[in-house]
Amino acid sequence: MIALVDCNNFYASCERLFQPRLQNKPIVVLSNNDGCVIARSDEAKELGIEMGAPSFLIESLLQQHNVSVFSSNYTLYGDLSDRVMTTLSQFADQLEVYSIDEAFLNLTAFRHHNLTEYAHTIRNTVLQHTGIPVSVGIAPSKTLAKIANRLVKKRNKQLGVYCIDSMEKIQFALQHTPVKDIWGIGSQYTKLLTGHGFITAWDVSRAPEEWIRKNLSVVGQRMYNELKGISCISFEDMPAKKKMVCVARGFGKVLSEQHEVMEALANFTAMVAAKLRSEQLATNTIQIFVQTNAHRSNEPQYFRSLTIRLPVATNSTNELIYHARQGFETIYRPGYNYSKTGCTAMELIPVTEVQSGIFDKENRSRNSQLMQVLDKVNRSFGKNAVRFALQGFGTRWKLRQLKLSPCYTTRIDEVLTINI
Amino acid sequence: MGFPSPAKDYQEDVIELSQYLVQHPTATFYFRVSGDSMINACMPHGSLLVVDRSIKPVSGMIVLAVLNGEFTVRRIVQTRRSLVLHPENPAYKPLVVTEEMNMQVWGVVTAVVVKYKYENNDRVG
Repeated sequence: MIALVDCNNFYASCERLFQPRLQNKPIVVLSNNDGCVIARSDEAKELGIEMGAPSFLIESLLQQHNVSVFSSNYTLYGDLSDRVMTTLSQFADQLEVYSIDEAFLNLTAFRHHNLTEYAHTIRNTVLQHTGIPVSVGIAPSKTLAKIANRLVKKRNKQLGVYCIDSMEKIQFALQHTPVKDIWGIGSQYTKLLTGHGFITAWDVSRAPEEWIRKNLSVVGQRMYNELKGISCISFEDMPAKKKMVCVARGFGKVLSEQHEVMEALANFTAMVAAKLRSEQLATNTIQIFVQTNAHRSNEPQYFRSLTIRLPVATNSTNELIYHARQGFETIYRPGYNYSKTGCTAMELIPVTEVQSGIFDKENRSRNSQLMQVLDKVNRSFGKNAVRFALQGFGTRWKLRQLKLSPCYTTRIDEVLTINI
Repeated sequence: MGFPSPAKDYQEDVIELSQYLVQHPTATFYFRVSGDSMINACMPHGSLLVVDRSIKPVSGMIVLAVLNGEFTVRRIVQTRRSLVLHPENPAYKPLVVTEEMNMQVWGVVTAVVVKYKYENNDRVG
């Protein structure tokens, strides 16, 4: 049997943990740049606030109902996610972290236990230790575990646990799952299936295998078997090796000065380089872009990206910034209001497999030593304590995060003060 | 190269204070206190608290509690009749938790860290 553990309204729960007065009160969390709603507490959902709603459109609604609004604090959510996952790892031999707030647990070793009881133990322990409420769905396959979890949230959120452990329960669960809510079914397949009269997952599971094989791909066939309770999707304990690293962000304000846009790009490129180093990867191709704000239709629009092939794969900040700058000077055009830029490292390879070039003039060992020192200093003295000149000290390109909560769990000078 | 150190075989890791203070890293959080109501429990104003959520609160422990939506720190005492939140300073009154109050224990305070702040740089002697 497989469990899917999912944190309830994760980002909202993280914020609430340190502001207990918000218990039972509506909370929303906004995306980067405070653009739109990306998480809601149950109370906010009940007010009819939609996922993805642009914050400026619902401002009056938020005020009217006294909704607490937060900028996304990924430092905090990341730490609490790590705590939840570490706590979960004690409960199974195999844990697959599926996203920041979801994990699959392989419970095969526990098949002789009372799994519903076991799920309650998992749930209570995570809540007790980390303060984060979770829902647990248990079933014979990953796809069914997803469905079980969805049913917990739809039907008995208070209970927090649902275990699909009989044919009757499979039937019940599938009958209460619309086709579009089956894990891995995109909008294309939803259209195809509903077009053929399949309304629930139960209908799909009763289709002739022949038809499924003919009309859906291998993925669809796997889903079909999973719905019947035959586990076909294996566990991935090891996260897949990254194929790309991208840092691209919108600015807090539009920028029209070349050096300001370059400064933003230099910072994003530096972040890409640091990410590569932390995973012992290097890149031999980067892609950069600049763009204006498409929503300001009355202003002249410009978008341009450029792919740059590097002579030798690298993860040094100085080299990557150098190449990004060369590229930037090619694609930058004055006279526009820029709203976003970014850098993507493509074709990643492990550092150990980097091949040197014949005409390579860079002093690579010196460079990598420099980067080690840079990372070490920045680890102890804070992000960007040491930086390249091009990164500058400007703040106009920085995210708008007006409602950012403190990093309560990762910065000693931001821990919560309690009046006693 | 010189001579190998005779101490090499006896080398141990240096003392990590957080290892000593923290039993359950995934369940441990830090808070700072403002005020002197717990002064007699070695918790002066400005102390850093180590709070462990995984420990079951037992009468006599010092806890971080949530009382009607607000955080507070008190010694929790179960008497025969009621649950009491005790300050550790005679200038403050104990609070009997009644039915109408909404009280939850957020975590158990397992350690207090106090750092001296020396501001006067004049040397003595």
